[in-house]
Amino acid sequence: MDTAFLIESVIKVHIVLGFVLLVVPFIVWAERKILGHMQDRIGPERVGPFGLLQTIADGLKLFMKEDLVPAQADKVVFILAPAITVVTALIATTVIPWGDSVTLFGRTIPLHIADVNVALLFVLATTSMGVYGVVLGGWASNSKYPLLGGLRSSAQMISYELAQGISLVSVVLLAGTLSLAQIARQQAHMWYVVPQFFGFWIYVISGIAETNRAPFDLPEAETELVAGFHTEYSSMKWAFYFLGEYANMMVVSGVAITVFLGGWQGPVLPGVVWFLIKLTAFLFFFIWLRATFPRLRYDQLMAFGWKVLLPAAILNLVVTAVVVALR
Amino acid sequence: MLIPAFLFAMFAGIAIGCSLGVIFHRNPVHCALMLVGVLLSVSGLFILLNASFLAALQVLVYAGAIMVLFLFVLMLLNLKGENPLLTRGAAKGFGILFAIVVFVELLWTVLSPQMEGGMAASPTVPTGFGSPAAIGRVLYTVWLYPFEITSILLLIAVIGAVVLAKRKFV
Repeated sequence: MDTAFLIESVIKVHIVLGFVLLVVPFIVWAERKILGHMQDRIGPERVGPFGLLQTIADGLKLFMKEDLVPAQADKVVFILAPAITVVTALIATTVIPWGDSVTLFGRTIPLHIADVNVALLFVLATTSMGVYGVVLGGWASNSKYPLLGGLRSSAQMISYELAQGISLVSVVLLAGTLSLAQIARQQAHMWYVVPQFFGFWIYVISGIAETNRAPFDLPEAETELVAGFHTEYSSMKWAFYFLGEYANMMVVSGVAITVFLGGWQGPVLPGVVWFLIKLTAFLFFFIWLRATFPRLRYDQLMAFGWKVLLPAAILNLVVTAVVVALR
Repeated sequence: MLIPAFLFAMFAGIAIGCSLGVIFHRNPVHCALMLVGVLLSVSGLFILLNASFLAALQVLVYAGAIMVLFLFVLMLLNLKGENPLLTRGAAKGFGILFAIVVFVELLWTVLSPQMEGGMAASPTVPTGFGSPAAIGRVLYTVWLYPFEITSILLLIAVIGAVVLAKRKFV
């Protein structure tokens, strides 16, 4: 492990974390603005030009707000839970390649922080750890609605993880590798979304369920559960959950782009730009869904996950396996 | 050489500390969390042993899925006081017995002649060791029958769970 490698890694870590953390306020702003226009409203417009500074102001407010811990709460776990959500989401970003390698000062630098040969499993493992943030937050609050929200989310996330994992396995069968960089590189001629059309949609649907986004935002269904698992959270701890959700959206989008949509590859423009374009399109899609669909009922959600999505994913896997074997 | 030794000490230390936490914590949810800590640090040890595939599976399956279900049950039951299965004396007796058995087993393994070169030598690692391909090849050739028997066992368990869940309680 030489010094240059160390410096290179530190710089890349700062770039990725800085990007994820700095871009979240703008996604929040974009979400409110887009939702506003889709619902025939204007959205935030008072703070700064086009309301761009609205989320900065909100962030400042959250920072100054009193940090409440319920008297009956389990204090250590209560503080730990939002941190788990953010940390797991940020760890997963380390293996997503956002561009091909570049040569700087005579060194070939791959544009992802860590080249793990089991990167795809690594992402699945870290996102599966993300469940703890929600479940523990719900439990540690020691109150009815958060507990129900937390339990719901644990059932939901485990159920949808299965379909998500199996849809990715189909691509692994085609690619013959678990490395995200290699999977992306193999799509130079054809994106895997073409042969794995169903796999792509299964992944996207279960990815939305994994991130607890509408129409799968059952853990925080305000009509039934006040605010679900984060009812008792305020101030920066609540902001951390928020941050974690958006970072997770980026991870799910990043994996979808890398595995199904050719990663950084595209004509004319450099790889990083293509990656950012695809990421923006994906995040827009997330917001668009939220504006379009009403929330599912809980039994519908579980029935859909186990009786539709999982069999579809398995069928897709079997068909892919047969095709790969016959090829 | 220094960094792997340091990492080993760190992961091993966390694993031991968390294991003690599993035993000594009063609150069952805290115990479960400590067990998650043990599993995570053991997966760190797997990575040090060039078995990143196993490490990822360890986190994905044990820490990410099975322990979540444990927590799920613990939270639903909301155990507060202890409701011990065994009396204190019996628990102590079993504990000592199991500790001796495990210790003898470990000693047996460590001292057995199959440990090439003893513990001091660091064996050379063949290329591709611990990769998904290598594990798959071993699993489907050398350990094919145990593997298939395990999968049948799991299938039986799944069917059993469905039957139990479907039963109408009269």
